[in-house]
Amino acid sequence: MIAFITRRLLLGVLTVWLISVLSFVIIQLPPGDFVDAYIAQLSASGSQVSAAEADSLRHLYGLGEPFYVQYGKWLARIITGDFGESMEWRRPVTEVIGDRIWLTLLLSFAALLLTWSLALPIGIFSAVRQYSFADYAFTLIGFIGIAVPNFLLALVIMYFSFVWFGTSVGGLFSAEMTLAPWSLAKVWDLMKHLPLPALILALGGTAQLIRIMRANLLDELRRPYVVTARAKGLSETRVIVKYPVRAALNPFASNIAYLFPYLVSGSIIVSIVLGLPTVGPLLVKALVAQDMFLAGTIVLLLGVMTVVGTFISDLVLMWVDPRIRHQMD
Amino acid sequence: MTTRRKFLGASAALAAVTAPTVDALAQAVTAKSAFDQSGLVGKLEGPTQVTTIPSSFKEAPQLGELVKAGKLPPVASRLPAEPLVLKPLESIGRYGGTWRRAFIGPSDGENGNRIMASDKLLFWDPTGSKIVPSVAKSHELSADGKTTTLFLRKGMKWSDGAPFTADDFVFWFEDLYGNKDIVPSPIPDMSAGGKPGRLVKIDETTVQFQFDNPNYLFPSLLAGDTLIGGGQAVRQSNGNTYAAYAPAHYLKQFLPKYSSEAEVNRRAREAGFDNWVRMLHVRKDWQLNPELPTLGPWKTVRPINTPTWAMDRNPYYYVVDTEGNQLPYIDKVIMSLAENIEVVNLKAMAGEFDLQERHIDLAKLPVILENRDRGKYDVHLDLAYNGADTTLHINMNHTADAEVGKWLGTADFRRALSLGIDRDQLNETFWLGLATPGSTAPAEVMPESPGPEWRKKWSVLDIAQANRMLDGLGLTKKDSEGYRVRTDNGQRLVIQLTAVKAFMDWPAHAQMIAQQWRKIGIYGDVKEQERGLAFQRASAGDHHILVWTNGGTELLYLYPLWALPVSTANGSYGPETARWYASNGAQGTKPSDPHMLRALELFRSAAAQKEEERNKTAQEIWKIMVDQQFHIGVCGQSPALMGVRLASRRLGNIPGRVCIAQHCRTPGSSHPSTWYYKS
Repeated sequence: MIAFITRRLLLGVLTVWLISVLSFVIIQLPPGDFVDAYIAQLSASGSQVSAAEADSLRHLYGLGEPFYVQYGKWLARIITGDFGESMEWRRPVTEVIGDRIWLTLLLSFAALLLTWSLALPIGIFSAVRQYSFADYAFTLIGFIGIAVPNFLLALVIMYFSFVWFGTSVGGLFSAEMTLAPWSLAKVWDLMKHLPLPALILALGGTAQLIRIMRANLLDELRRPYVVTARAKGLSETRVIVKYPVRAALNPFASNIAYLFPYLVSGSIIVSIVLGLPTVGPLLVKALVAQDMFLAGTIVLLLGVMTVVGTFISDLVLMWVDPRIRHQMD
Repeated sequence: MTTRRKFLGASAALAAVTAPTVDALAQAVTAKSAFDQSGLVGKLEGPTQVTTIPSSFKEAPQLGELVKAGKLPPVASRLPAEPLVLKPLESIGRYGGTWRRAFIGPSDGENGNRIMASDKLLFWDPTGSKIVPSVAKSHELSADGKTTTLFLRKGMKWSDGAPFTADDFVFWFEDLYGNKDIVPSPIPDMSAGGKPGRLVKIDETTVQFQFDNPNYLFPSLLAGDTLIGGGQAVRQSNGNTYAAYAPAHYLKQFLPKYSSEAEVNRRAREAGFDNWVRMLHVRKDWQLNPELPTLGPWKTVRPINTPTWAMDRNPYYYVVDTEGNQLPYIDKVIMSLAENIEVVNLKAMAGEFDLQERHIDLAKLPVILENRDRGKYDVHLDLAYNGADTTLHINMNHTADAEVGKWLGTADFRRALSLGIDRDQLNETFWLGLATPGSTAPAEVMPESPGPEWRKKWSVLDIAQANRMLDGLGLTKKDSEGYRVRTDNGQRLVIQLTAVKAFMDWPAHAQMIAQQWRKIGIYGDVKEQERGLAFQRASAGDHHILVWTNGGTELLYLYPLWALPVSTANGSYGPETARWYASNGAQGTKPSDPHMLRALELFRSAAAQKEEERNKTAQEIWKIMVDQQFHIGVCGQSPALMGVRLASRRLGNIPGRVCIAQHCRTPGSSHPSTWYYKS
């Protein structure tokens, strides 16, 4: 057991290192660098930059050096907890991400809770009452939920809320509150803005989970152990919740690995459409501007979260499913 | 009145997304009377400068309280002895309010820079046609054109209360501009006839720019949006260090000269920067550093790299109204970060911004009009002066493909491409019929305009003539689909149109042009590229034709970037020629085209000419550029770029039309400090 965990941990560290190399390579791949992107931006707004200035900017940001030197410097700093300075935002990367990470996590958690609290009961219900009217209704809604991309849903909802209520949905705070320090009023303002984006984010995932839960549970319901449990005279609720539902939860546990990075970046397109101040749009902008340290740090963060998520999901699976535990011994 | 109703009706119908009404709207708007009656294009107007100085001064209530508490000197001693006096457009305003506005991230610094544009030494009046005093109370150009003297305002102060004097100019020139670590290469603005000029202090309130050769252009450069004249807000942010003056008393602490390199580097590392240069670039950037002394009407209190860029009034602002009230009227400017431009437009229509012209999309005009009453805003269309919002910038030095390079370098080929464009169709589709089709030459009202006939020259649809010209060049053979083939290998001749989706949907424009070129047998291949990549490839000369605007060229000498290959910052017309010109012939290659050579020679000679002669030279250059079609104009003089202005009905002193042009620093020359909340 201990050996298994240690092995997984070491592999995890190796994977994270590989991810860091890969992410740095990928960010370097497109032609040009931050200074090119920056000059293009300046000339678009009517300024101009001479070649000599461009060179001095490159020197300032250490962009002229070979790839492995830049990577080495970056890694050496990361180990000491210094993620560098975002070239575009001209602030430490940790601060730029820090501004947004809590709202991102809050939004994603809200969406996740909503997904689970809707998907699990509905999934169980659909499986137990297979081919009932309600099952068909949920199936229909579910398929629509899977088929409609959630950014489209966001656009539609934005359109109607504007046409009907004359308000825009963009953002997580109203204009007066963005600048205000944290207070009860500001929390309330956030609470008022949160449900809509959370719902939009949750819907697609909910539909998928309903289908997964229904299919898994249907497999389990036909197993002999269910018949045995019933024959023993257990109540129907107990039969279903105690045994097949537990077995059907396995895919949920292994899903945890993907949940972690999803918490940070799952909402990219929806966030862009709705104008939410989360990490997703930050990553997109950083990639477009070739802001290496910012983009690199976010990609690395996503990688680390995937690795950590996988590790945790291994542990959870071992805990939930005795069969896996026994294989190990 | 009926026309107006029709127009509004048409726009309302359009909001229901019915395609045919687009034409109806366009027709309603382009018909001259409807344009006037619609009330959308107003009179070019703004606050005017007066010379009578009020006998006493007043200030915003919250500043008055600070004075009472002894935390701020009285208003009379905060203002210069001769403040700039503005007569507001309609009436004296009242103090108070917060200007809500949107910006799209730390790269959108121009959004705020332009509001602070009264920190320029000289500026333009609200019509954009006359140079007026600004930070400097007057200027004097010597008869030989070799010196320009600036007279500063006695007793003027930085936003922290420290005196603003000639020493701030000397500090900029010697310690910042003269330091190779900060400014790596001298700028063309500071030289005349190839020789660098000097900035000299005459006395506390007088400075002189001295050149060895005549430089009659220099006062215009000081007033224009140039490196030397742009003002502290724009030219000392984003890693730039120009603009002729800087707060010496504050910035000295960041320079090695006033302690030692080791000392400033140590302090830089303590503050989290790699070295002192990095720290200086952040500390002297008004967008990033709330402590930086500035001269504009407001100053940053929350920096641009946070979700809200906020500004408070500058208690030492040097401008008053005719009754002696210190400006600005509005207390605060709050810009909220929008993750994308669609959100800016939607929020603007919901009335969540008080005045917004930046990032407003012309294509949404019908919906914007429909929501006027609900969002409680007025819509103003401000027309630009530049010839073409959409311009095909042609690479006349293309070498990667010799055959394509040969044709792009041939005037008749370029003329044929231009004659093959149906500008009216483009105008209807992309400008709602609001633009003026024609060449790249500026609007006729501009002093440098070569005349109305040059707006049309080679720039109207004439497919028959275009075909004749292409046939005459020997491009007679066509392939099975009717496209002309190359003379070298018999393959189809493909002309690439590199387009970026930026201020307008240029890839879509390019697509329509490519379709129109079918009729002249030219295959146009639209390459949509990300902005950075497109510009990088253009500066390396890899492109055939780059689709972009020519905004700014209405004053050719102040902003020649998108008209002539004079700067290595833009290689669109051939990077080798640009390098040759910028290096005075030391590098690059001399252009083989005698017309290009002549245009560049004329351009170089202009700085030594007086205004009238200089304008004639500009007209000559425009005639060459249009006749030779160095760049093909499509449609311009439209409100497409920053010209759709949504102003809250609560605001007063809002001009009917503002000058939108590079040199006017839209909306800077309309002095936002004179705007106020009526209720």
